[in-house]
Amino acid sequence: MNYQFNWKLVLTGEYGQWLLDGLSVTLQISAMSIVFSLLLGTIVTVLRLTRVKPLEWLSLAYTEFFRNTPLVVQIFFWYFGSDPFLPGFFKEWLYQQNIEFAAGVIALTVYTSAFIAEEIRAGILSIPKTQLEASRASGLSFLQAMGYVILPQAFRIIVPPLISQFLNLIKNSSMVMTIGVAELTYMARQIEAHTFHGFEAFTASTVIYICISLVVSFAITLYDKHFLRRVRY
Amino acid sequence: MRKLSLLLIVSLLLSLGAGVAQAGKIDDIKARGTLVCGVKDSQVPFGYVDEQTKQIVGFEPDICAYIAGKLGVKIELKPVTSSTRIPLLQQGSVDLVAATMTHKLERDDVIDFSITYFPAVQKLLVKKGTVKALADLAGKKVGSVKGSTSEKNVKTAQPACEVVSFETYPEAFLALKQGKVVAVTTDAPILVGLKYSDENPDNWEIVGEDIAAEPYGLGLAENDSDYRDFINKTLMEMWNSGDYKKLYDKWFGPNTKFYIPLEWKMEIWP
Repeated sequence: MNYQFNWKLVLTGEYGQWLLDGLSVTLQISAMSIVFSLLLGTIVTVLRLTRVKPLEWLSLAYTEFFRNTPLVVQIFFWYFGSDPFLPGFFKEWLYQQNIEFAAGVIALTVYTSAFIAEEIRAGILSIPKTQLEASRASGLSFLQAMGYVILPQAFRIIVPPLISQFLNLIKNSSMVMTIGVAELTYMARQIEAHTFHGFEAFTASTVIYICISLVVSFAITLYDKHFLRRVRY
Repeated sequence: MRKLSLLLIVSLLLSLGAGVAQAGKIDDIKARGTLVCGVKDSQVPFGYVDEQTKQIVGFEPDICAYIAGKLGVKIELKPVTSSTRIPLLQQGSVDLVAATMTHKLERDDVIDFSITYFPAVQKLLVKKGTVKALADLAGKKVGSVKGSTSEKNVKTAQPACEVVSFETYPEAFLALKQGKVVAVTTDAPILVGLKYSDENPDNWEIVGEDIAAEPYGLGLAENDSDYRDFINKTLMEMWNSGDYKKLYDKWFGPNTKFYIPLEWKMEIWP
């Protein structure tokens, strides 16, 4: 073992900047995917509970399909596999844009939303059925009853599992490096390739991932404690 | 007294262990009976999986087989990528790397290299009639592979282009086919392989100035000069006996799709 540690090389100057650039991309892609997957997950769950059979089936199919295929396969599908289905003129414009990033966000969103949908459903099912019936009886439409009565309570219950999903998403975002999105893991690997100091580069990225995860987890817990649990509906 | 003798035995064993570790790669390989070689598995014609036999074949596996033959051991091929080949060599998971690896001085800090066994130059693979030279790449996306020298070279040669790096060259070529990047850049022989992997090779052309020289060397474990001498001698023998030309013609000769005239001479020491 004649490995020479060189932390300064990896953490400062050009390579330090690479890590920061990678961190910024990881944060962007994670934040966008978290917001979209929460929205999409909610929609998918609500469809599941509408009691309109075709919508229920659609929602069930969506959840099972995207929950049961590997994320990397989905990433490749959205990036490489979607090509034949896009119209030519649109494609030309699209590929000039940051298509790698977009495909990454779509894959992460769709994948995570399938899991989130199941968790929201579990939250909703834990609210006594009579509440929905009572709100319908008092004249609220299905969507109003969901939006004003059921979902606010359900979201409070599922905060802990939602945190896990968000943390998974942040870590899963490292997989978009396979389609050339220059996020944190990609940058750590680039630094390894340029300097051969893989130990330092990957240690740095590990510490950064842990920090992001802890901050996200802590922030949501605080929000839950000081806001969600205090609000009276 | 018992403790002392135990200590003696342990230290003796330790020094024995150290002695074995210093024995050198050649003895290790002979004792094991196999030469473990890191090769590419999707790099036509350097190293790729044959459609019929499902075995890794190519120019580089053949060179490895020649070396294994000289050592009198069996050969085991392990697929590596541009970003895993150096770490695997450092760990000792492979005895040598024959994976289109450019001999760069900075790589010499962590591993050793044999003499050059294939001289390549870096070019651009583009859709016919689109890009002519490096200057046309300004503001465009260029596909490459993570951890490769071509990735660094193209950034230096054309700072205004955006490099998108994939895991393997076929993926980069797929991105080119789909129009996501306007060019794929790497060593010309790899580009020729990519070009002919398409159903219509005529749709693609290799253009541009020589972005960089990319002399390929066999990657060897650091600081084992007996081993390196042996590999270098074997390569020179291969050249002198004409076996190199035979192998070269098998993969790059006039009767192959990947015809590249043999226009160089291996460095031969007197």
